[in-house]
Amino acid sequence: MSELFRRDPRAQWIARNRLHPMHQALVIGPVFGPSGLLRKNLHIIGFIGPNGLKRIDRSGASNDSEQGSRRSATASEVILPLHQVVEPAFYIVVVLDLVSGRLNGHDKDTLGLAQQLANRNNGGGAVVAIAFGELKDDSLNKAGVDRLIHINDEQYAHYNPEQRCNDLQGIIGELEPQHILLPDSINGGGDLGRRLAAALQQRPACGVWKLNDDTVICRGSAGKRDITRPLSKLLLVMEECSEPISETRHENILMSQASSPLANGKLFDQGNISVDPNAIPLAEAGFILSGGNGINDWEQFHHTASVLGATEGASRVAVDDGNMPRERQVGATGTWVTAQVYIAVGISGAIQHMQGIGQCDKVVAINTDEGCDMVKRADISAIGDSTEILARLVELVEQRKQAKQTNNEGDDK
Amino acid sequence: MSNNNLSVISLVSIGEHPTSRRPRRAEQDARAIELGIKLVGDNLQTLHAGELSDDDSQQTALRSYLGMGLAEINLLEMPENSDAVLVIAEHLKQKKPDIILTGVRAENGESSGMLPYLLAEQLGMAMVTSIAEILSVDEVNKQAEVLQALPRGQRRKLKVDLPFIASVDMAAALPRQSAFGPARRGQFEEILGTSFTDQESSEWQTADAKKRPKRLKIIKAKTAADRFKAATAKASGGGGKVVHGVEESAQAILDLLVEEGLV
Amino acid sequence: MSSSEFLSQFLFTLISFALLLMLVGAVKRMLLWSQGQSSTIHWLGLLQIPRRYLVDLHHVVARDKYMSNTHVATAGGFVLSSILIVLLYVFQLKLQILTWALLGSSLLMFVGSIFVMIRRRNPPPNLSLGQWQRLPKSLMVFSLSFFILTLPATGILPSDTGGWLLALLLVAGIIWGIGEMFCGMTWGGPMKHAFAGALHLGLHRRQERFGGGQSTGLKAIDLSSKKLGVEKPIDFKWNQLLSFDACVECGRCENNCPAFAAGQPLNPKKLIQDMVIGMAGGDDAKFAGSPYPGIKVGTHKGGAIIPIVNVLVESDTLWSCTTCRACVDACPMMIEHVDAIVDMRRFETMEKGQTPGKGSEILENLSATDNPNGFAPSTRMNWAADQNLTVFGHNEKKQEVTQADVLLWVGDAAFDMRNQRTLRAMIKLLRAAKVNFAVLGDAECDSGDLARRLGDEATFQRLANSNISTMNKYKFNTIVTADPHAFHCIKNEYGEFGGNYNVMHHTGFFAELVSQQKIKLDNSKELALTYHDPCYLGRYNGEYDAPRFLLESMGVKIKEMDRSKSTARCCGGGGGAPVTDIPGKQRIPDMRMADVIETKAEIVAVACPGCSAMLEGVVEPRPEVKDIAELMLDALIEGVVEDTAEVVVEDMVGGAV
Ligand code: SF4
Ligand code: SF4
Repeated sequence: MSELFRRDPRAQWIARNRLHPMHQALVIGPVFGPSGLLRKNLHIIGFIGPNGLKRIDRSGASNDSEQGSRRSATASEVILPLHQVVEPAFYIVVVLDLVSGRLNGHDKDTLGLAQQLANRNNGGGAVVAIAFGELKDDSLNKAGVDRLIHINDEQYAHYNPEQRCNDLQGIIGELEPQHILLPDSINGGGDLGRRLAAALQQRPACGVWKLNDDTVICRGSAGKRDITRPLSKLLLVMEECSEPISETRHENILMSQASSPLANGKLFDQGNISVDPNAIPLAEAGFILSGGNGINDWEQFHHTASVLGATEGASRVAVDDGNMPRERQVGATGTWVTAQVYIAVGISGAIQHMQGIGQCDKVVAINTDEGCDMVKRADISAIGDSTEILARLVELVEQRKQAKQTNNEGDDK
Repeated sequence: MSNNNLSVISLVSIGEHPTSRRPRRAEQDARAIELGIKLVGDNLQTLHAGELSDDDSQQTALRSYLGMGLAEINLLEMPENSDAVLVIAEHLKQKKPDIILTGVRAENGESSGMLPYLLAEQLGMAMVTSIAEILSVDEVNKQAEVLQALPRGQRRKLKVDLPFIASVDMAAALPRQSAFGPARRGQFEEILGTSFTDQESSEWQTADAKKRPKRLKIIKAKTAADRFKAATAKASGGGGKVVHGVEESAQAILDLLVEEGLV
Repeated sequence: MSSSEFLSQFLFTLISFALLLMLVGAVKRMLLWSQGQSSTIHWLGLLQIPRRYLVDLHHVVARDKYMSNTHVATAGGFVLSSILIVLLYVFQLKLQILTWALLGSSLLMFVGSIFVMIRRRNPPPNLSLGQWQRLPKSLMVFSLSFFILTLPATGILPSDTGGWLLALLLVAGIIWGIGEMFCGMTWGGPMKHAFAGALHLGLHRRQERFGGGQSTGLKAIDLSSKKLGVEKPIDFKWNQLLSFDACVECGRCENNCPAFAAGQPLNPKKLIQDMVIGMAGGDDAKFAGSPYPGIKVGTHKGGAIIPIVNVLVESDTLWSCTTCRACVDACPMMIEHVDAIVDMRRFETMEKGQTPGKGSEILENLSATDNPNGFAPSTRMNWAADQNLTVFGHNEKKQEVTQADVLLWVGDAAFDMRNQRTLRAMIKLLRAAKVNFAVLGDAECDSGDLARRLGDEATFQRLANSNISTMNKYKFNTIVTADPHAFHCIKNEYGEFGGNYNVMHHTGFFAELVSQQKIKLDNSKELALTYHDPCYLGRYNGEYDAPRFLLESMGVKIKEMDRSKSTARCCGGGGGAPVTDIPGKQRIPDMRMADVIETKAEIVAVACPGCSAMLEGVVEPRPEVKDIAELMLDALIEGVVEDTAEVVVEDMVGGAV
């Protein structure tokens, strides 16, 4: 719950109006005069004692808390209006990606677009979200789900697009939705949507990023062209194709649906294989620990990377000096990286290097020189001896891991 | 190669360079060929739907697949704007390959990425998308093990029944360099395809991709204060936090990693 | 029969027989060379052998005074003695004067051989040992034997001195001497260099190099031929095979090779010797010089029809070369190492598709975007958005520019933020001098230098042809560029494709402007400065003076590095070496920077975008790296021409009408 400071316009108005009968009760704290000078309001110091005399309590015990002009936000969790579709005129089906059981941004945008489709031309449609497998998210109602079909059993914990496609065919046969939307993602939606399209013999609109009345704009030519084409039944949509729902609540009514088992599946999920972080190509890596010529202890650097589970990167100088292999070089002359977190240890940040990390989300710099370019770019800069900082970081991480383990063991008992 | 009897066909298209827009070998198709060559060596067959263009640069682009060491590329001739899927499917029905390799999506045209799915449906084959590697092919049990590329360098192992179609991801091994000599000497073998026209797409309008506006970080403000905060918050990246001292530094970094869910 | 009579008769037989043997050897050797591909035979060159030997070859040898004198004495003595011996003992011309002459010449040779001997007592590592250690002894035995043999004939000593014993000793000495000096010449001893070397001087593939000329451009190949580049020794031209045989294993190339010094697996001397092994068949176990750093001698073998790469020579060896030409320049035998290396690279790239490192990516970019880093061709002029440059062809004002005095060749520095600084400085200078210039804009492509040195002749030819056809649409007097690689390519390599232009490097062009007083430079600043000669400006094009003239006009007293001008050490940036990136013990730019630091200079002036990138890549603290154009801009005395920009722009528009 956020401790939000909420303005109370009325209270503020009273505070400004010295003639208001409640004025005195509300004005606490510093008051600035029109010239910006601090004004002390002598009238409000103290309180009226039981015998009607003004008393000043110097013990501080009865100091007014600053409640006057604030209302606690906790008290006023905003209740969004409920959007109800009692008798759906038609259905819009959205198949959610649900990465690890939760809605992600892409799912929400897709639902947003689905609501647009359900409500255009006088509306009346209901958005049916289809969730396969475990569903941990309880915010479906706030994301624009009118109806929910939840299909879950053991097999949906795995990658089984054929089964899902089969289920979807059944659902679609029943609901006869006006449109079917899937996120055009690498988290399953893109694959499932195309399977479905092939099975339904429907030509999908892929890479949809904008809806304009009866047409959609799609990214074609691998992102180089925009194709404007009529709205089709099956839409594979991109992230940010629409604003997510934020101003309404939805019913999120569970519809029952039996899954019809598929007899002749040809794909068998053998599970994810554990990937050695250093086997991940730099360009793909999500978490990179990168070393430059400010590193004295390379053994420790490698150790840190393995404890953190980070992919190793390096600056050109570190590579030139033979401390790291060439394919680990980050930068315009090496690899352009896109990591979610990029930790640059002892890299001052030559222009080519900065170019290469331009796409990284969060950059952490560990450096002795506070004025270097890397520090200017970084979201967090740790100034100090890298050997010590890394050593301490490793300790902290290991402590954390241990704490977790003992916790887990505790849970088990 | 132990997979001598395997019949593998890779489908190639003419790619387009993202900045210069010039024809080139498509990056994913080239990876598909690389994968195919590693799997069956010289037995890899390569198919391109379309005829040999008179345009030099188109031809060079197609030849650059030959430059990877292929002896020939089969050209499935078909009239322009005909539906490649049906033509290819018709052709492949007779060939009965065990494995068909394609890119995930084309570099020009609609680039919907539907082709492998449609072929799989037409030919009744299994379809695996975005593979990075074929680990093994068991010809006795008619099954193969493949690695599928997931985001951020993760991999999923799949077993798939033969015959199957696989689209090859950018995460697959880099394609070998295309050499000029073999590219010039390689042959094209022309086959006449049947023709099915694609009416629909001719009515679409296309234009150069517009830059999509970056979505503002909407903090769906339930209160005016939130809106104010959202509007005035420092844009992320503009100078970060600076911490001194070993303990504080390590803690700050750890906090970030925890926040990002990395430890 | 007295011992002297016996000797003279015996010598007749012996020498005739040796000469015959030598002839047989020569034919055999020639057959080896003739396995190579056909190439123009410059018969007239044969007549020039003595001149080329005495002038061109000795011009190189003379860089080492000791060796030069030694060689004059030994070789001169030997050649003279040989002729006299043939006259005296084979043709039996018993003239007293010849005898005296022989006495003199053999003495001369003997003196020379003593110096050879001294040199070989503690040979520097660039000299080969093995049979080469035997050579001074052979020389001595040969000259001494004939000296003693001749003494009685001149009457200084009575005939029959020493009797049979001496005669026998002489016979032994002469057999040794003649065996080494005559038969060894064609049968593969150290003296082979004299025979092959002489023919090589005459039949050299680059006849232009003699008599002070230059020929440094790579030679084009026919892209429709069956095999592109060199796979096996027999794929070399026959005169290249001949040239390999001319190597004396003096190791001067090795001494100058930056890749060798950096510990990369390349030694130009060994490379040439390996080519000889390949041509004649065998293994490299007998090679007695320095190995390729990091590769053991005796582990490779080859043959005329066996592929070279990875059998005889590791591919890393080829890809370590920066094509700096230091080896070629230092080679007294005028052997063309770079040609051979690029020929083999061509096969690796165009037939096998095995350009290492980032090579394949770069080549793909070049063919898709005309620049090595894959930037959109339409962004080539972005750097000059604020420069208001005149662009050839249709410009925004719908005027057509087809003519200018100067075509400013921008090069790939357009995409590099560091070198854009140099370009901007150049533009200010050109404007200050009121030069009427224009650029090609987005129509300019990479010059093709990189593609060609990486062995991708096909891409080079495409780029060259495209550039030539663009440039041929316009009229201009001079091409000026800040990039010595483009300069070299356009000047020396576009000719074969029909592009003949007057090309100048910016230093040369500015030097003219300064001497014509069109640019005035302030010469009061005191800079501790040294100058690094770019290989492609210096060794490739012989331009050592213009940059120095410019620096001196700024009042700089250049602190020259030990290795400067023709022996300047490469920065490591040429020939695609940064692309292939073969590991060594140290980095070439670091070594060059160490040279700079030795002079105590605070600034190193460069004249090439490649050099500035490589030298600036050296970890700081280090001297500052500045292009000469930037230094000039700092020293420019403005006001000589007032309000330059507008004037010039108008001028140009005027020129276009
Ligand atoms: S050109 Fe330069 S790098 Fe290449 S072999 Fe000769 S000296 Fe060495
Ligand atoms: S190639 Fe030339 S410089 Fe090198 S060792 Fe042989 S003769 Fe000497």
